Amino acid sequence: MTSTAHPPLEPLRPTGPDDSATTTAATPTAPDGPPVIQVRDMRMAYGDVAVLHGIDLDIHRGEIFALLGPNGAGKTTTVEILEGFRQRSAGDVRVLGTDPARGGDAWRARIGLVLQSWRDHRRWRGGELLAHFATYYPDPRDPDATLDLVGLRDRADRQVGQLSGGQRRRLDVALAVIGRPEMLFLDEPTTGFDPEARHDFHLMVERLAREEGVSVLLTTHDLVEAERLADRIAVLVSGRIRAYGTPVELARRAAAQAEVRWTAADGTPRRERTEDPSRLVWDLHRAADGPIADLEVRRPTLEDTYLHMVHSGDAADAASDISNEDGNGAGDGNGSVLTRGKKHAA
Amino acid sequence: MTTSETTNRTTTQTAARTTTRTDAQAGARPRAAGLRHMRAGFQRGAIEVRHLMRNPKEMSGFLGNVVVALVLAGTLSKKVPGTHIPMGHLTLAGFAAYLLFQVGLINLPQVLVTEREEGALLRLRATPGGIPAYLVAKAMVMVAMAYGTLILLLGAGALLVDGPLPRDAAGWLTLLWVTALGLLAVMPLGAAIGAVLPNPREALAFIMLPAMGLLVTSGAVFPFSSLPVVVQKIAAVFPLKWMAQGVRAALLPDAARAAEPAGSWELPTIAMVLSAWAVLGFLLAIPLLRRAARRESGSRLTERHRKAGLSGAAA
Repeated sequence: MTSTAHPPLEPLRPTGPDDSATTTAATPTAPDGPPVIQVRDMRMAYGDVAVLHGIDLDIHRGEIFALLGPNGAGKTTTVEILEGFRQRSAGDVRVLGTDPARGGDAWRARIGLVLQSWRDHRRWRGGELLAHFATYYPDPRDPDATLDLVGLRDRADRQVGQLSGGQRRRLDVALAVIGRPEMLFLDEPTTGFDPEARHDFHLMVERLAREEGVSVLLTTHDLVEAERLADRIAVLVSGRIRAYGTPVELARRAAAQAEVRWTAADGTPRRERTEDPSRLVWDLHRAADGPIADLEVRRPTLEDTYLHMVHSGDAADAASDISNEDGNGAGDGNGSVLTRGKKHAA
Repeated sequence: MTTSETTNRTTTQTAARTTTRTDAQAGARPRAAGLRHMRAGFQRGAIEVRHLMRNPKEMSGFLGNVVVALVLAGTLSKKVPGTHIPMGHLTLAGFAAYLLFQVGLINLPQVLVTEREEGALLRLRATPGGIPAYLVAKAMVMVAMAYGTLILLLGAGALLVDGPLPRDAAGWLTLLWVTALGLLAVMPLGAAIGAVLPNPREALAFIMLPAMGLLVTSGAVFPFSSLPVVVQKIAAVFPLKWMAQGVRAALLPDAARAAEPAGSWELPTIAMVLSAWAVLGFLLAIPLLRRAARRESGSRLTERHRKAGLSGAAA
């Protein structure tokens, strides 16, 4: 697995605001040249309100990288800074070796982007629009072949305004890759898709990355999508990267801390998180000198842990140390539903 | 395993491709890029004109304007006071000027605001050479719109209601420079307005009222001399009065000069005032358009996310 190539990453665990320094484990490790995106201590504030508190990222050539987080975590802000659409407050940012704040036309020609909010050029026909945008680039793809790539060949003569949401977004991708970009930004590309459209979209993105060698930065609030598509995931909550690694690494770390539940002798339900559940259970048995009522050991899934992080982030970074009440309160509401998503549990 | 192998292989491929591309760029041909972007602009303009002509709603809007002008011109039987010129001729000349004015100051801002909101401007900003191409295309579309309406109005006027046409080469020449300079006076101004107005719905309300006010007070439909002096003085600041006067100079016989406040067409003054508006318009439009394009980072949706982000971080 690729993990051997990377330095040990910080464990995936809910952390508080003061942990940001320790979770920034991103070090350039690409075996072949510099990363396509390199971000160090990127900060963003609107007036007095800070929305990004020192982001570090490295994205390697040919990789699909997911920036995962709830709405309002700062994903779009991050991506817009990388796209050169927003001026960061501080930090060092390189996209394809260039500071996006100073990226000119030559740099623009090497990146492609798909925003969630485009609904322009509605009168144009899809094929006509794609052929037109090909004329801006020095070495464009063949428009018809690109329509094939996104599965819209038979919709080429349809007016853009009459395409479905999924078709429209696929056309946006075609427009984004018509200039043969090295880097593709997808900002929540599957929002509002039905499962089939989402599936098709995932296949298409994978084909672009695997067969065409395009590096992809994708933002999503959907963990399943990130796990499905990404080579690596960074979890962004409240403007901080809380976890960073391959889906498998993240899942392994998520499962490292088990939750033990039981009912104490006085009848109160108890829970505890531990890295050594066996030891805890043994201790409990010895203390009780007999069987323990309602004993249960649970390995959290990545989903449990992600939602836990999101909730602790929502709670205004309440505590760096997750107290029992706090943590369980958040875990409870979702845990029952989410134990289904166990595919990555150890 | 397979994943990492695939990644490595594609990585090498991409690296190879990147090298060749960087070589091509090292031979940097900015002029080739500039030409390419100009061509893209012209292609874009041509396609947009075609879309416009195929759009029944937009076309009926233009035809509506022309029909109103023709009906008005056909039903007015009076003469312009102090002359033997039919009132309908003055009205047609006035409407011709007003339609140009409307293309620059109503249609153009509306198109800009709408396309800004839909994300077209943002997409072109994300495209190399996109913004220059966009401006070239918009200029083409507006010029086509303006001259299309003008030809339709004057042609139909001459055929149906015995409307005026320039009598000689000098008249045609005057018509050409007055309309060209008139468009130059209003289009940059319209672009500046389109760059600052908030959204398409409000945009119309913002521009419609002043435009109608000027239509009435600029001598486009009533003889300018018949208006109160204060109104004349105010209207004379704005370009429409001078555009209308210039079109009258091109279309009406010299005898019609009697109805002008100065007793002459004042062509040099027309040229000066319209040029001044053109310069002012460009001075306003360039920074405002640049600012609008720069601020076009996310659409409303992103903005909502940002606000959600703000309240989330502030909570």
